[in-house]
Amino acid sequence: MQPLKQYWIAEALEKDLGDPTNPDSVMSFKQVIDLDEKEEFPHEIINWLYNWKLQHYYIPAECGGEFTSFDEFIAFVRVLSRRDQTSAIAFTTMFWSYLTWMAGTDEQKRTLASFMKDANGAMCLAYSEKAHGSDLLASDVRAKKVPGGYILNGEKWPINRATISGVTFVLAKTDEAGGARSLSLFMVEKSKIDPANYTHLPKIYTHGIRGSDMSGIRFENCFIPESMRLGAEGVGLELALKGFQITRALCAAFSQGAADTALRTTLKFALGRQLYGKTVFDMPQPKRTLTDAFLDILICDCATIGVARGFNTMPEQISVWSAVVKYFVTTTLETVVQNVSVVLGSRFYMREEHDWGIFQKVLRDNAIISMFDGSTVVNLHALLLQLRQLTKSRVKNAGRNQDTLQARLQATFDLTQPLPAFDGKKLELVNRGGDDVLQGLELALTSLSDLQTDSHLNSEVLQQIIQLLQMVQEELKTLDHQITESTFQFGHEQAPEVFDIAKQYCVLHAASSCVYMWLYNRHHLGDFFASGEWLALSLRKLLLTFRPAKALPTRLSDEAVSQELVRLYNHNRMFSIVPFQLAQPQQEEITTDATQRLQLQA
Amino acid sequence: MQLKDSNSKPSSSNAVDTIQGWLVNQIAKQLGINAQTIKITEPLTRYGLDSIDSVTIVGELEDWLDAELPPTLLWDYPTIEKASQYLVNEVGVTPAETATQATEVTTKPQEAPKEKAWGGLWNKISGS
Ligand SMILES: Cc1cc2nc3c(=O)[nH]c(=O)nc-3n(C[C@H](O)[C@H](O)[C@H](O)COP(=O)(O)OP(=O)(O)OC[C@H]3O[C@@H](n4cnc5c(N)ncnc54)[C@H](O)[C@@H]3O)c2cc1C
Repeated sequence: MQPLKQYWIAEALEKDLGDPTNPDSVMSFKQVIDLDEKEEFPHEIINWLYNWKLQHYYIPAECGGEFTSFDEFIAFVRVLSRRDQTSAIAFTTMFWSYLTWMAGTDEQKRTLASFMKDANGAMCLAYSEKAHGSDLLASDVRAKKVPGGYILNGEKWPINRATISGVTFVLAKTDEAGGARSLSLFMVEKSKIDPANYTHLPKIYTHGIRGSDMSGIRFENCFIPESMRLGAEGVGLELALKGFQITRALCAAFSQGAADTALRTTLKFALGRQLYGKTVFDMPQPKRTLTDAFLDILICDCATIGVARGFNTMPEQISVWSAVVKYFVTTTLETVVQNVSVVLGSRFYMREEHDWGIFQKVLRDNAIISMFDGSTVVNLHALLLQLRQLTKSRVKNAGRNQDTLQARLQATFDLTQPLPAFDGKKLELVNRGGDDVLQGLELALTSLSDLQTDSHLNSEVLQQIIQLLQMVQEELKTLDHQITESTFQFGHEQAPEVFDIAKQYCVLHAASSCVYMWLYNRHHLGDFFASGEWLALSLRKLLLTFRPAKALPTRLSDEAVSQELVRLYNHNRMFSIVPFQLAQPQQEEITTDATQRLQLQA
Repeated sequence: MQLKDSNSKPSSSNAVDTIQGWLVNQIAKQLGINAQTIKITEPLTRYGLDSIDSVTIVGELEDWLDAELPPTLLWDYPTIEKASQYLVNEVGVTPAETATQATEVTTKPQEAPKEKAWGGLWNKISGS
């Protein structure tokens, strides 16, 4: 068993779900591909998950559930998502319950917890409207105050699980005057409203997550009691934005699961297929592509886990951290899937030849993650508006309160440290106190320099890590200078250059996260992690965003990384900095062998 | 939010003016419009300042006043006039640049509470 407790649920779920390449296991690749072909909602899978009581892990302990920390949560969502993003997303719409855990009354919390636990209930988030997209304030859905409640009118579309769900979180206009206080949020329980006053819209046919219940909901003079309002009238936008800080960061887990499968199934092919007397993996170019994909997964892992733990340790900085991972992790891992498709060759385009065609499904399903729950540009926009303040804080805080900063970073990144309980009330609409992750660069450089006396470390590797982190620091200075000098404006007409700065900020944040992860976990994540080649290679990879390869230190040998990749594959372990145990195969898998023999004859 | 300067009543109208002036200039600058065209009684959304902008502008205001403010200040007090009055009369902030308060600048009371606020924040998080 994994020593880190936050991975126990993920491991247990893995074990019980069984090997996805065994057609008979729950959520097997075969089953999810069949459902996808039929565009059918995965009822059976969802029921299995309810029976497993996974829904309890979506309810905070203080509300009667088992949820304790976000790093535990992202680990088991990865497990779901590596098998099937359609079911993972369908089941995880339940996480919008966080709106109630954050802002609900005790009664509302009780109602929702019991709905989830005892009635296998699901919820959906109804924010979008056809005419308004990302512009939430332009809402046409109205909730007009009447004695004892509201009259709801209007249509929400496109909404995932709008039809197959019992609770709809609806954002509606309660103040005709408009403005930031004109929206309110409602937890509409369908069982308690008149069915004559609402209708579900027809299924929307999508390119990916085809079995999803994508539809919409229309309210017509629908009375909803006051008890269905979440928080005070007018706090809808504030709640929506804070709720997004949570769900956006967690979207990274969907991408991580998808990237794992894309890499695993491609690696399986590359290790098995013989060409020119060798395996595909023996050829340097494909090997490099797969090794680089693994590095990207590790980088994203460090960024995601850091933010997941940050919810508990630094909630007032999450407005920045969650935008960083929603942009960086989802787009990076989308690129990973694209990149490895080249190694899978023609099979990435065939529906039956390799692992039931799961690769193509991953490619299609995964493409939505960077778009929904706040698109890439919306996240970068949320981040860039805060850059000026972040730069100011960085200057102001430089060199101050180093001990408390160190303690906060350790609490966030040391995976063995217990986390304080998460309190949603501490989330802030804009970052408070700067960004610890980038503020701590100086401290990280000191810690790295202290390691020079550690004889267990390869000095060349350490030297590179130091040199590369200094470059990260230089790039941050350049960025800060650009931000200070820029004619920064408010509003939605931001220059594309400012979006570029925001993207670069994310890269620097991710690079620093990798370094802290290493510094604080060198002694408990195994030899591969401790030796640090992966870190030097990752930092170099990230710095290619800023500098040409020839301006960077020579690339270290990546042999240790590619060997680790194969080792994890052979032992059925997650591609992760915490390579927890995946389900073991129950029987020798033979499907691909047959095709390989045919290929050799051809 | 504690009152920071409750015995400065005589100069409070001056403080309101100063904050109003600062907000007018800041918004004019950030939005690239003429300060003369900004009316302090109009909702800021009229000038194209949207909800997220008005949260980030509070950050600038915090720096200038050296005080911790609710980020949704301009959501709840959506005109320059209302926001300034709230800041002076309810929060009790006194801008350092208020002309008649020049002598008070050196003993400005905002520094200490602010330090406390950030220190206190970490204590809350770590559960102590
Ligand atoms: C599979 C799927 C599931 C979904 N699930 C849900 C759900 O469960 N609940 C829900 O409420 N909604 C859901 N949505 C809707 C989704 O959130 C919206 O599609 C999204 O908000 C974007 O809106 P839009 O497509 O209308 O694009 P628009 O917002 O109209 O954007 C149009 C263009 O403007 C650009 N743009 C927008 N804002 C900015 C900005 N700030 N800066 C620069 N450029 C900008 C965009 O990049 C894009 O190019 C889902 C959508 C899909 C496809």
